[in-house]
Amino acid sequence: MNLRELQVVAACLASRFGASTVFPLLQQQLDKSVEFSTPVTSYRSLQEGVFLIRNDFPLYSGGVVHHAPLLVALMSAFSSKNMVSLLYACADTMIAFQLIAMAKCFSRSPLPSWVPGALYVINPLVLLSTVSKSSVVFSNLAISTALLSALQGNSIIAAMAIAVAGYLSLYPLLLVVPMLALLQKDKLKTVFITAATLTALLLSSYKINDENWNYLFSTYGVIITFSKIIPNLGLWWYFFVELFEMFIPFFKAVFNLFVVSCIIPFSLRFHKQPFYAFILCLSWITLTKSYPTLGDGGFLLSFVPFFRPLYGYFRYSVISTLLFIHVTVLSPIFYHLWVDLGSGNSNFFYAISLVYALGLATVLVDLVWAMLRIEYDKGTPNLKLKMTPL
Amino acid sequence: MALLERLQRRATDVGLLPWLVQLLPRLALLSGLVGLAWLALWLPLEGNYRHTYISENALMPSQAYSYFRETEWNLLRGFRTQIKQLVNETSSSRNEIVGSWLEEIGVKTAIHTDSDNGDTLYGVLHAPRGDGTEAMVLAAPWHNGDGDFNLGGTALATALTRYFSRWPLWSKNIIVVFSEDPKASLRSWCNAYHSSLDLTGGSIESAVVLDYPGANDFFKYVEIYYAGLNGELPNLDLVNVAVHVTEHEGMPVSINGNPESEIGDSDFYAKMRKMLLGVQKMALSGVQTCYGNEAFSGYRIQSLVVKARGTGGPFDITTFGRIPEAMFRSVNNLLEKFHQSFFFYLLLAPRYFVSIASYLPAAGAFSVSFILAGLDNYLNSAKGLSSTSNSSYYSVVTILAFVVSLLAAFTLSQVFLQWTKPLVLVTISLLVSSVPLLPIKSKFTTVYAYRFKSIAFMYLSVVLTSLLVVNFALAFGIGLLAFPMILIKNTNSLKLRFKNSLMLMATNPFVCTCIFANVFEARLQGLVVIERLISAWTQLGCWSWFVICIGWLPVWLMVVFSSIPSADERRSVQSANAKKLQ
Repeated sequence: MNLRELQVVAACLASRFGASTVFPLLQQQLDKSVEFSTPVTSYRSLQEGVFLIRNDFPLYSGGVVHHAPLLVALMSAFSSKNMVSLLYACADTMIAFQLIAMAKCFSRSPLPSWVPGALYVINPLVLLSTVSKSSVVFSNLAISTALLSALQGNSIIAAMAIAVAGYLSLYPLLLVVPMLALLQKDKLKTVFITAATLTALLLSSYKINDENWNYLFSTYGVIITFSKIIPNLGLWWYFFVELFEMFIPFFKAVFNLFVVSCIIPFSLRFHKQPFYAFILCLSWITLTKSYPTLGDGGFLLSFVPFFRPLYGYFRYSVISTLLFIHVTVLSPIFYHLWVDLGSGNSNFFYAISLVYALGLATVLVDLVWAMLRIEYDKGTPNLKLKMTPL
Repeated sequence: MALLERLQRRATDVGLLPWLVQLLPRLALLSGLVGLAWLALWLPLEGNYRHTYISENALMPSQAYSYFRETEWNLLRGFRTQIKQLVNETSSSRNEIVGSWLEEIGVKTAIHTDSDNGDTLYGVLHAPRGDGTEAMVLAAPWHNGDGDFNLGGTALATALTRYFSRWPLWSKNIIVVFSEDPKASLRSWCNAYHSSLDLTGGSIESAVVLDYPGANDFFKYVEIYYAGLNGELPNLDLVNVAVHVTEHEGMPVSINGNPESEIGDSDFYAKMRKMLLGVQKMALSGVQTCYGNEAFSGYRIQSLVVKARGTGGPFDITTFGRIPEAMFRSVNNLLEKFHQSFFFYLLLAPRYFVSIASYLPAAGAFSVSFILAGLDNYLNSAKGLSSTSNSSYYSVVTILAFVVSLLAAFTLSQVFLQWTKPLVLVTISLLVSSVPLLPIKSKFTTVYAYRFKSIAFMYLSVVLTSLLVVNFALAFGIGLLAFPMILIKNTNSLKLRFKNSLMLMATNPFVCTCIFANVFEARLQGLVVIERLISAWTQLGCWSWFVICIGWLPVWLMVVFSSIPSADERRSVQSANAKKLQ
């Protein structure tokens, strides 16, 4: 680890921890904004859980807590506010460090290895997400740990990390499919270890939760059935606000199928570029999950610098940048118009979440097109050859 | 698919893209002009506007007979005579006396004390038929926006309260409010109502502010003001009800203080003038004379002002009282919040409007124009880059420079908030505008000049886009007034530098706002507008000052930077000339 990389990591820790301590009110503001906080990730509900667990109340009967029991138990071990801020800052710093380590795995990359980490540090979406103390940070950390270990060929840690990610927020469990392509050997063992870790986590949660299985619905059931209807940047909520009751189960099934649908195709089609397939699957989950936040989007965008050789083929980079800028500016404004002023309505905000989805989709489509083009050009970029992508 | 493919190939063959890139400055100019023409010329054309209609059926304006007539006439005059004796009393004794009258009628009263802005007397008449969770406000400030004693208005409010109290049909509480003025004191009451007051009557659905200065029995016509703070408008249904009721009683209606002589006009120019006046009032809301509806902004309250104009005329004060009566009867019928009709509209006449989809492109065009100008400058800067130099280095410096100017603008906004000296501000602005004339050379190369302008215009475009729906009029106004900035060219010739300097003066946020206010608003002469912008924030919570300082000023600063002639300009001009000769 050279000096520059050390600087990046230190800057990450300092910026996260500094922002949390210098602006203590910022956390509450961000935690109230729908862009950075959802029922399944918000710090307010986590704090509620900590309070309940400290006073020996049942965690999940109140219908407020949707975090995994072990996470709540972990957080209850921290008493001081600064320690909690430090924990979040450290988790985020680990991600930045792992991004740097991942960059080192690609020896032929034209990019200095500190660049992805530095971009992660200055990414405002991730910074604000960490300051809001959204639990997205922990699942992101688990995902990046799994990815890094898989890249380094350490199948055991990768399998355990992906199980933790799945345990924390369910959908990342799907990433085990592209991860298998990433690991050269021990594929069966990986699946086995993932399953074993997950079982162990679930069983210990069962123990912690007073030998009660009700946490399963509160954590994963809420994600699958979208039973907490609260506006967010995702594609689902609007349907369940507007639809007639009888259609709702059908659409729940459709949306869940939608999340799962593209994982195997991506992994199969790009099994020769497994890292790339992993990121595609991650972006697919970010696009279609039920409770997305800008923190997920920011995490995803941190992987784009790894695809430097594909940059020449990107066709929508200006458009996607503009889309992301406008989403971050307009979504709080439209939410304000709808909820505070009452002069707008839910369509305003949903329109913006559609724009956000479009932004993610343009990134996804660009990545797929660029990879297909570079395959067509047999690995050496031939930017002069124009092809009609229709 | 095949068609699209062919179109794309054809476009490449013809060289459409390079041609468009060359045209960018003209396209930006065109887009701005289209925006202006869209609002001023296109919308008032027949077929682009619609007749207003009541969209919430429950309102049924003027369906019930109004009884506020001759029987109330003597009571009203009695109250007026009594209140006339209170004109020179202190506000606390005035509030006490009127409060005792209200108590006699059966209204619970309380006084909201505010030593800075003036006390406010208010009373809650509990609804005989409702659950008391919703309320309608009848406000009559002691002094109106013009500074006159609101004798008729306060007498009417008292008489109406007495009259309302005898009716058993109310399903919403009625809150009657007597504030010291329609601006800071009413706003202070409204803020306190939603935070600290003990006596409350539920969520306020609508507010009608009565403005009838003087002791005259007769008046000529009614003015309706509706533009709220920060671009908020009351639901069009409420405005429609007010217009409908007033015209039903035979009184002519003028909106936004349109002069009396133009009330009957309905040709193209009259519609255009009325609409542009409405846009101007929306943009300057909180800054110009406040009549009282602004005080209710931000709490989901639909509010408007009805104001009697003229001292002689065919209509007597009870006719004026029938407007709030009928409006309250209408709002009383509502079973849910105002929501169905339009919250975003421009009125071209009391009964003609355009809705958001029709007028939004006008301000959108300015946003597009700045994006195009930004793109043009970016491409120009890319041209100046030699292949060896590092493009991202330039970008980082540009972003840093922009952050610095943003911080400077923010500091300035905070400093002048505490230390209000408009003359200093305008003098500094004028001095800075003449920077291009100074015989100094900027160390930054032309590449930077283009980059600076590019990021500035892109930022302004994002600001305008985000304002578009929140405060259309402000977005349009800033877009229009800042528009000449895109014409500023990087140059070394003295004549053009002089022109640049003039252009910078004309587009400076403060100078420009002052000029605009002096030309279009008779009440905002001199540099008053800047003081008013600041007091609008401190007293009412109107954001315009910050929008101007943080949205517009940093852009202007960046353009000033880039218009300083750079050291390498002459060389590049010479080499261009040399190329031409070859």
